[in-house]
Amino acid sequence: MDEQARSILQRIIKKTPSKRLETIIRSWNCLSEDQLHSLNYSQPKWLFLENLVSRCEVRLFNGNVTKTEIKLYKNHIHNPNQGTWHACQLFQAEDDALSVHFTQFRESFIAHLEDVVQHVSVGMKKLEDGAIWVRIAWGDNFRKPNHLKPTYLVHYLQSSYVFIHNVTPKHRPFLYQALVLATRHVSIKECHLSSRSLTAMRDLLMKQYQQVVFLVLNIFPNTDPNIEREHAESSEGRHQMACEAFGCGVLPKLETAVYKLETRYRGNSNNTLNDGDELFRGVVKFSSKNILESLRHCVSTGMAEGPVTPLLSSITQKGRNYFVITDKVSGATASQTPAPKA
Amino acid sequence: KKNMLDFFILGLFISPGSAVNTPVRRPVTRRSKSYGRSCVEPPSLFWQTPGHLTTLGHRIPTSRRAAKSHNITEKVDPEQVALLLDGEWKLSYVTPLFLFRHTQLKLYSKRLAAFIIAEKQQGVAVEVGLEAGFRVSFSAVLGMAETEEDAETISSRPVFGADGSKPVWQGWLTCVNGDPEYLRSLPPDFTSLPLFCSRGAESLSALVKSWFQRTFDCSFGALGLSSSTLHWLAALWTGCHPAAGIRYLKLGWTMPTQPPLDIEYSVDPQDAWELWNSVHKEDGADERISVDEVQSFINGLETHFFRHFKIYLSSGTLTKVSTALGSAHHHGKIKVITINSDYISTVLTLLTECALLKTPV
Repeated sequence: MDEQARSILQRIIKKTPSKRLETIIRSWNCLSEDQLHSLNYSQPKWLFLENLVSRCEVRLFNGNVTKTEIKLYKNHIHNPNQGTWHACQLFQAEDDALSVHFTQFRESFIAHLEDVVQHVSVGMKKLEDGAIWVRIAWGDNFRKPNHLKPTYLVHYLQSSYVFIHNVTPKHRPFLYQALVLATRHVSIKECHLSSRSLTAMRDLLMKQYQQVVFLVLNIFPNTDPNIEREHAESSEGRHQMACEAFGCGVLPKLETAVYKLETRYRGNSNNTLNDGDELFRGVVKFSSKNILESLRHCVSTGMAEGPVTPLLSSITQKGRNYFVITDKVSGATASQTPAPKA
Repeated sequence: KKNMLDFFILGLFISPGSAVNTPVRRPVTRRSKSYGRSCVEPPSLFWQTPGHLTTLGHRIPTSRRAAKSHNITEKVDPEQVALLLDGEWKLSYVTPLFLFRHTQLKLYSKRLAAFIIAEKQQGVAVEVGLEAGFRVSFSAVLGMAETEEDAETISSRPVFGADGSKPVWQGWLTCVNGDPEYLRSLPPDFTSLPLFCSRGAESLSALVKSWFQRTFDCSFGALGLSSSTLHWLAALWTGCHPAAGIRYLKLGWTMPTQPPLDIEYSVDPQDAWELWNSVHKEDGADERISVDEVQSFINGLETHFFRHFKIYLSSGTLTKVSTALGSAHHHGKIKVITINSDYISTVLTLLTECALLKTPV
């Protein structure tokens, strides 16, 4: 068995919990009953791998292995060690874009990719939720496709979003071209949204989180009813603002947001720096298990001043988490918050 | 009149190897305490309130000497300084040591080694590396007591790498520019080395502390770094930019939200320096940095941040500050890079003071 196939197999066996191993291997249909029975699932995994490899036919394996990897990958999409996904958006749909179905997409995508890249191996699977998972192993004139560093791509047909994982700058243009052609669009652009959690990005962009407004009850100690009412009003006001900016209920689990600041200095107003034209450069990074919930909490508790700055609300409104902030050219005053620009 | 005395750090060095103690190489001389006036500026107002009565009471200096004016390398072997400071250290404070004698370092080495062995035999978990025997060394690095009042610090690099084996644990105690009135007020048999820095297995740190506690009737406590300390460090490091190149100024806050939110603000080094320069007045030879300048600097950064994000950083906690010259964390960790050892004295003075402030009466 060649090194690559073996490595992939090893990876799968390592990641799969022992009790599920039997089911998975059985589902590949490449071992006889006798062979299946002869496997000992309680062995240490490295030993198990050796025994498995000695019983198997390479040819039958490869296809099944890559499909299994896709499945495993999907089940691990919450795993933070899986690296970063980036979102892209397709623009200018042709008339027949909406009628593209899975088979058509698959044939078209593979054909276009194979046109431009020699030795590429593409696996595709459509899942129950409508997501198309594409796994691409890249090769070239000198090397066979490298299955150890595949690119993953997830696309929901009829939506304009594509999520990409692990593509090199060299291969990206080929990928984009094949995507654009196969989905019957004219162009594709990066969304400036990246995260380790595919689900978070998908939910954010496709607005699949609850937009339900819920009532917030505040319980105050026994004080003057007027004070209580004022508190309740301002607190409700903040809650309202927070929900409008970020959403209500459970929010997508976005973990970071990065802002590159290229604005003029806006610190203490009696500083000479305020008069200058030079930029006060910096980068601000927000991180949390769920930054949208954290930011919403900041607003609702008053840690952030209202109205919510467009810099923060743009995360949900525009579905992105990377921004470059520059000063507005015309009409800017010292106290005005600059609008985010792409 | 100030005597620039020798740098002196009490160091402790535990390395794998045979259970033979390495003799201390350098001769150690104890400076006798004198009761003359020191040249350290008496503080005029307090800006930092420890919240409880500590050894310094409420007297805390409002200004410090800036980084540049100390050239440690003139006074002490730079290699020693570098060895001393490379890497990350965990900070603790320690109460004064009773009957500590600089002349007994060899004896202390033997006793500590014996103690560790005894504890191991009793089943106290100790990390790997000490199985095949080990060596404990105390040593003195001469050269950094700033005033006559400072006790000499004893360092952790006795043989300075000559034996070739890497230490599994290192630590050092020091007192740099300690408050002179306090030091003078100590009863004669007490030595104050309030700042304890350690690196290595926690189990060994615990054993070392335990031995010190028994032997010198002292106690240790965790030394966290308050936001004002972190502010000073941010300003000190930024001030070093023209000389040493800080590459970035990063400040990290944690906001008490659900879930907690970390905010990291990384400022372009040149821009940070321009801001610092605009609030700090250079005033000649004995350059001092005042607390007002530090506050202005930090306020500038926090306000610039606020204008963009409308978030009050003051409702969170400043947890870390870092530049290419070093980093400090509010849980009591510090890392200092010895590209430029000029500012070591100021940093150690600051840390000594933190330790004294934390040390209970």
